[in-house]
Amino acid sequence: MEQIPVTVLTGYLGAGKTTLLNRILSEPHGKKYAVIVNEFGEIGIDNDLVVGADEEIFEMNNGCICCTVRGDLIRIISGLMKRARNFDGILIETTGLADPGPVAQTFFADADVAARAKLDSIVTVTDAKHLVARLADSKEAVEQIAFADVILLNKTDLVTQAARAKLAAVIRAINVHAKIVATERCHVPLKEVLGLGSFDLNHILAEDPDFLGSIEHRDRGHDHDHEHDSSIASVSLRMEKPIDPTKFENWMADLRANKGPDLLRYKGILDMAGANAKLAIQGVHMMMEGSDLAPWKAGEKRESRLVFIGRNLDEKTLRDGFAATCQ
Amino acid sequence: MPASAIEKQWNFVPPIAAFAINRRGDWIAAALGDGSLRLLPANEAGQPKEMKLHDGVSLSLVPDADDHAFLSGGDDGKLFIIDPALDAPTLLAEQKGKWIDHAAGTVNGFRAYAAGKNVYLLDAEGQEKFTAPIASSAGGLAFSPNGKRLAVSHYNGVSLFWTNAKEAAPTTLAWKGSHLGLLWHPDGKIILSGMQENSLHGWRLADMNEMQMQGYRSKVHSMGFTAKARYLATSGAEQTICWPFFGSGPWGKTPLMLGGSDGQLVTRVASHPKDELVAAGYDDGRIILAPLNGRMEMLIHPPVAKNGSGVTGLAWNGAGDCLFAALESGYLMLFTIESVRKSTLHA
Repeated sequence: MEQIPVTVLTGYLGAGKTTLLNRILSEPHGKKYAVIVNEFGEIGIDNDLVVGADEEIFEMNNGCICCTVRGDLIRIISGLMKRARNFDGILIETTGLADPGPVAQTFFADADVAARAKLDSIVTVTDAKHLVARLADSKEAVEQIAFADVILLNKTDLVTQAARAKLAAVIRAINVHAKIVATERCHVPLKEVLGLGSFDLNHILAEDPDFLGSIEHRDRGHDHDHEHDSSIASVSLRMEKPIDPTKFENWMADLRANKGPDLLRYKGILDMAGANAKLAIQGVHMMMEGSDLAPWKAGEKRESRLVFIGRNLDEKTLRDGFAATCQ
Repeated sequence: MPASAIEKQWNFVPPIAAFAINRRGDWIAAALGDGSLRLLPANEAGQPKEMKLHDGVSLSLVPDADDHAFLSGGDDGKLFIIDPALDAPTLLAEQKGKWIDHAAGTVNGFRAYAAGKNVYLLDAEGQEKFTAPIASSAGGLAFSPNGKRLAVSHYNGVSLFWTNAKEAAPTTLAWKGSHLGLLWHPDGKIILSGMQENSLHGWRLADMNEMQMQGYRSKVHSMGFTAKARYLATSGAEQTICWPFFGSGPWGKTPLMLGGSDGQLVTRVASHPKDELVAAGYDDGRIILAPLNGRMEMLIHPPVAKNGSGVTGLAWNGAGDCLFAALESGYLMLFTIESVRKSTLHA
């Protein structure tokens, strides 16, 4: 059975999540969506199938200390799948205070959900005028930026060009990997937010051949006067020597065991010693998956690239640890 | 590949969302993905009877308190009684804007259903006895065999209610994690729950001795006691796992493991009503009959190559001479002792 794509919309109250949702629903794409909302706001949702849900966070006793899932999503997605298939995708609008971690982990940790649905991407809507203040006073606002694949910098008509550039830099300091799209009233082409395959390992390479390629000049070291006091940031690593598979596996296992709760998202394309194919990995907290991708091309520069987005990451320790996994 | 021992099959609107046999064991019901229902007499290859049910889909189709009928709770917030003798379902209760995730009926005429974080108990006249808030959305509902207690599973435990009490005053059996489907031992002394963590947890109520069964590859979506309640047959592994409940019970014992399937998972089990025999359906559509006495199991339906054709419902009729199986792809199949015997002779 084909897995149905799921897009998660996060963002602080008032940033424009419902506006984006209605925009997606009203475009003439000919597709039908099931919508799951965690709070009914002032703006109505213009769709046939809207399911309201209370956030129910369940800890899993499976040896993974940070493994929490969303019980409400397991229940609702399983229920939706009992219908004759009359929708093409699922859109989940979370509350302004939602932690995206349990939402993402639900699609990996629950086998029934994973068999029928796949997380396409996490889209975070931000309010350009209030983003800096939100990041300063809300850890959820920072986490929503950290988890995102796409960040809409919305209401850009309310700020100056200079402020916009500064906001992009503030976002980059937290999440080096997300695509930032400046919008007014969430006006965005749907291809920027839907069908991205952000959690699809094959996609890491196919859609983004320059994966982490421009990291160096997004260096957060000499970066702007941070107005928020966030301990969440990105660390990007690169290595030209081939990786020893056992050393790497041990290092990652150790890192996930000890730093799992602080590792929000990570992705990498790796050059493993003795392998002809590129290895892609991705993870959320302690959950990691990997897959061999297309072989390295003749003449292609073989190197490994890895990015961590997390809380209290010590860049030097990560850099040294990664460097020590070389063959 | 051996041929199927199928006697007859019907192709319905996929998926078959829910499937059940009534308490008397003489009618089966299949709720379909378009919200409609098909009813069939459970002793012959008759014509199915159709009726419109939910504006959406059935989330819980179970045998009703009336031993002839069924109960269905749906995502349209409606709870229906389905009497096979009538042409339309009867609306029993409604919670507007909610999903009725679980429903149950019992011998003394009581019925219960769960919507959101509430459980509702109705007496034999359909009057609401009480509404009780629960810790999370309910994972399952089950009346004890004599109907005196109602068990509700939820996050971090199972709550037990006395059904003759004027007010809801539950006893909560605590165990960390999310509890789902529930099953009472036929003697009413043990309650078991399937868990989100691919395990089973159980309580013997007399002394609160607990049991924990682990090692499953998936959630245990289907379980039932075998004839004379000697074994608990369960889905969730590559084999049908049968825990012994005779003598001193399952503590410290290893289960019987029936059948095997090169990596496929058992999704549904159905114990024969009279003999120590279990039917098991797999996620690739294969169905086997496995005797508990150590004799060879029989493959009565081969795997279906297509994805999404897992067995989602399996039930013997009351006489034990007909086995019905529902596949997610919309097929409902009937096997009879006669059709199985013929196919074994040919094999």
